[in-house]
Amino acid sequence: MEFGPHPNLWIVCAAYNEARTIAGVVSELRHAGYQAVVVDDGSNDGTRHLAAAAGANVVTHPINLGQGAALQTGMEYALAQGADVIVTFDADGQHRVSDIARLVEALGHEQADFALGSRFLGQTYNLPWLRRWVLRAATVFTRLTTGLSLTDSHNGLRALTRRGACAIRLRQNRMAHASEIVSEIARSRLPYVEVPVTIEYTAYSLAKGQRLGDSVMILLDLFARELHR
Amino acid sequence: MIAQIFFSFLLSSVLLYAWTEYRKSPVVAILSFVVASAGLYFVWVPSDSTRLAEFVGIGRGVDFILYTWIGISLIVILNLHLKLRTQLELITVLARTIALADLRVRPATADGDPLRAGAPTAGAKSVQIES
Repeated sequence: MEFGPHPNLWIVCAAYNEARTIAGVVSELRHAGYQAVVVDDGSNDGTRHLAAAAGANVVTHPINLGQGAALQTGMEYALAQGADVIVTFDADGQHRVSDIARLVEALGHEQADFALGSRFLGQTYNLPWLRRWVLRAATVFTRLTTGLSLTDSHNGLRALTRRGACAIRLRQNRMAHASEIVSEIARSRLPYVEVPVTIEYTAYSLAKGQRLGDSVMILLDLFARELHR
Repeated sequence: MIAQIFFSFLLSSVLLYAWTEYRKSPVVAILSFVVASAGLYFVWVPSDSTRLAEFVGIGRGVDFILYTWIGISLIVILNLHLKLRTQLELITVLARTIALADLRVRPATADGDPLRAGAPTAGAKSVQIES
């Protein structure tokens, strides 16, 4: 942890066809005083214009690459802007802006390089039982494969110090990046902390989210990654 | 028995792959499903593969050849998958470089730039992106 009382903080939002929510999310972030970079992952619904109009800096992928690739691009952009702390924040409106300060505070208090949001230490609203079960299974899987004792390994709300962001490199373009981040944290041996956060699912965020079949693809992607380092 | 379990595991992986690929490429998924299902059947009912071999005029050794073919095919598929991943990673790096390089050629200030890219918002340090 190497930043002062007023760190250069950047919020990274990966967005693909999020025209319905992106303006509201960015407005809320900007209203709270945060600098935001939205990585438009090849959207065709005007997401980047809405994000820019709401006050975000926008980086546009020429083609759709996936959320993991967009987050890596956003982190590289933020690092180039001199970010001391980077927070990844979902563009579908399921995260709460008020949790950002708690994550950044935890980095300072716990002398950690990664503060990972946990919906199971905090609160969830409208979380379907099947998704809860899959998330629990993913957490057990992550614990077995990385040795990290986490309660929620697939939460998109997380904060990284500059050192933490430089220590990880996402190669999983699609949804397997969440497991890859945990794996990279374990490999970096840098300190981490879990922070209770609130996730509020909506019909929109559930429709945009992962399906059960995706979890099979994630396992295959992670297996292939191990074969192809 | 060990070989049967081993090939069953590999062929089950192909069935899972077929299921997940169905939305993106249904033809490949259906072909994979049919081949993997046939492979599973012959692994667990080798007498039928022998009967089939006799029917087409080939001896019992065909089941061994069949197993070997299945194993080789799976390895080839895995190899192709890994090569595709390598290509995807290169494309990702290229697309990211283009996306970030695009910011460098935009005006240094946000005025008149509808996407604001390249212009840090208030309070941000002004740092040039280096290649």
